[in-house]
Amino acid sequence: MIIPYLGVLIIVGLVGFMGVMSFFASFIMRPRNPYAEKLTPWECGMEPVGEANAGHFRVHYFIIAILFIVFDVETLFLFPWATLLTDKGLSGFIFIEMIVFVAILAIGFIYAWVKGALEWV
Amino acid sequence: MEQLFFYIFAFAAVISAILVISVRNPVHSAFFLIVTFMQVAAIFILLRSPFLAAVQVFVYVGAVMVLFLFAVLVLDMGKETMKEHLHGQSIPAGVMAVILFLLMCYMVVKGRIVANPGSYGEAALVNNTEVIGRELYTRFIYPFEIVSLILLVALVGAIALVMQSKGKEQGK
Amino acid sequence: MLTLTHYLILSFTLFSIGVAGVLLRRNIIIVLMSLELIFNSVNISLAAFSYFLRSLNGTVFVIFNITVAAAEVAIGLAILVTVYRARRTVNVDEIDELRG
Repeated sequence: MIIPYLGVLIIVGLVGFMGVMSFFASFIMRPRNPYAEKLTPWECGMEPVGEANAGHFRVHYFIIAILFIVFDVETLFLFPWATLLTDKGLSGFIFIEMIVFVAILAIGFIYAWVKGALEWV
Repeated sequence: MEQLFFYIFAFAAVISAILVISVRNPVHSAFFLIVTFMQVAAIFILLRSPFLAAVQVFVYVGAVMVLFLFAVLVLDMGKETMKEHLHGQSIPAGVMAVILFLLMCYMVVKGRIVANPGSYGEAALVNNTEVIGRELYTRFIYPFEIVSLILLVALVGAIALVMQSKGKEQGK
Repeated sequence: MLTLTHYLILSFTLFSIGVAGVLLRRNIIIVLMSLELIFNSVNISLAAFSYFLRSLNGTVFVIFNITVAAAEVAIGLAILVTVYRARRTVNVDEIDELRG
């Protein structure tokens, strides 16, 4: 049963290998003549002020991520539900079940909408 | 053969878990945590539940880690991380963690299982997602509906907390 | 041959590393990451019991566990962001007052 998943493992390994190799190949093949002007983050722009990781990013990214995580978990429950829908005896019951589930989560979605969490201003 | 893969995945998971708690930069920590999650997904496939492996990848690696990285992005971590140092509590804490591990290993080596095995052998798990769904939507309906309430509370609570602090920020 | 003990010892190793991370680190975001490690170790042992006892209860429990972990992370990091905006610190030793 787990033999087919060997292919997944090989693909993951290949992707990792390609990622590392492309960095390594460009590391050995690139020309190397650094000087002070070239090492600045923006070669022909303003001098950057302060650190990049000093929390200049808006909290809005975080709100979108919270919305994403909740609806991602909802998708998790939709997969086994979708495989069962072909079953005649069970499909009506689990359809209503899922409607209730989605309706409860929709309350949260409406709350986020009313509260203005979806507006990017 | 399966044993070899188990040891590879277990070793990688343990090494990257140790790196998670020992590197200073939270972003590096988050990336090692992603490696650990991928190894745990592989362990789930060895345990004949590919559905759990897929869920592990798309909830933990796809959503939870994005949330962690966005939290690092929004907070001002630069100065804080370099200041961190160990303190007097660390030696007893490390000793306690090791003792906890040894105690649990002793218990599992000495213990034995008295429960009767159920009917879901390897042959019954071939259509993994469908088998799990059948169990989930018949025997576990009430937990399933309660989970939606947990998610609702989490969504409303998190949005309320973050929006409130955002309003305060703009008021200043 | 792989037995239940192999998986349980892997799970306990990850659990102990997670506990050590919670106790040793002062950065609150790494404390939360260690909590995720603990959640994962519990998931491994539940899935292992489910496979070796040939029952599906453990697997279903893992799904609920992942859901609760996702909710916990959303709330936990929202509290973290709020606390950070009030106190300007992520050090758990300095966050020791209930009054904001």
